[in-house]
Amino acid sequence: MDFIAEIQTPLFWAGLMTIIWVNIILSGDNAVVIALAARSLPKHQQNKAVFWGAGAAVILRIVLTIVAVELLKYPYLKIIGGLLLFWIAVKLLMPEDGGDDIESSDNLIQAIKTILIADLVMSLDNVIAVAAAAKGSILLLVLGLLISIPLVIFGATLLMKLMERYPIIVVIGAALIGAVAGEMLVTDPVLINWVHAKMPWMDIHVPLLGELSWAQIVGAVSVVVLGKWLAARAERAETKVVDLAAGDQQAK
Amino acid sequence: MLRVLIPVDGSENADRAVGFVIRKAPLYKEPLEIHLLNVQHPFPGTIRGVHKEAEQVHHEEGLKALAAARKQLDAAGVKYVFHISVGEVPEVILHYVTDRKIQQIVMGARGLGTVAGLLLGSVTTKVLHLVEVPVLLVK
Repeated sequence: MDFIAEIQTPLFWAGLMTIIWVNIILSGDNAVVIALAARSLPKHQQNKAVFWGAGAAVILRIVLTIVAVELLKYPYLKIIGGLLLFWIAVKLLMPEDGGDDIESSDNLIQAIKTILIADLVMSLDNVIAVAAAAKGSILLLVLGLLISIPLVIFGATLLMKLMERYPIIVVIGAALIGAVAGEMLVTDPVLINWVHAKMPWMDIHVPLLGELSWAQIVGAVSVVVLGKWLAARAERAETKVVDLAAGDQQAK
Repeated sequence: MLRVLIPVDGSENADRAVGFVIRKAPLYKEPLEIHLLNVQHPFPGTIRGVHKEAEQVHHEEGLKALAAARKQLDAAGVKYVFHISVGEVPEVILHYVTDRKIQQIVMGARGLGTVAGLLLGSVTTKVLHLVEVPVLLVK
């Protein structure tokens, strides 16, 4: 538990940078959903919705972190977690899809429902990513958790502006999550010996940006390539490019 | 009628492109049918259940980005139509070029996201590759 010594290793700082970036994306998008769901509500109800929504997200993060740290020691769970994270990372690069709205949130109950469902799923992503990126360091784990809390509560406006100006932030975040996913997959107790034997190059460390393993590099690159490809394909297949201004009063 | 598309991202460069079209319009033999287009970058795909609200935000942000351009055109008494869509900017521009039979694009050489030191923004570069119509770049 020698935190002072730990802070002085480059591994700690690399882990911290990853966790901060991952949190910005994965807490931030949770915050965005909360803010958007609360939008259609009257002002005094908006605050309630955001309060309950952010509160639930925080509690879920704490509970799920404790659970995840324990579970990730069991066989197969890192594989599942890794695949899940990989999918999340790819989805980050794809446009929001119109499909899954319950009806719109014009009453408080409806909004809270939307927020809680989103909270559950989105907190899980966040927790798995941080737990995996922490790689056993309690310090990083707790720091990761603490960082996510204000982001979920206050992060919506900040993230919406950031994503608009600099979409590259999301791409880098997705790549980092891909790297975490790759590392998770090859270090599952079930796979780890097999990987050592059959694909020893996977855990060779490259002294690039502070000791990256090939599993991380492959994870990061495949997320970005797959994500971008799927996004471009969705864009081209999209016969309905919607003109949001179609109903607006045009200059006559 | 010469159908001209001016992509606007809220940057000063884009507004200068609009100013350019306003000043040069009288030089064209035919009247111009001006289309303003703002393309909003989508939220990450992990957002769920708030599609309608997301569209509202995109609509509002689009109106904000177009405001200065529209003000110029209104002040000059020039007619135009404006569009707001969500997606990857170059691909959406291509969609409108095809869909509205645009004959020329006038756009800023650089935009809001352009890294300092680049001659041409990445969106401008991709549009140059994607579209088949003439593109006039305004610096």
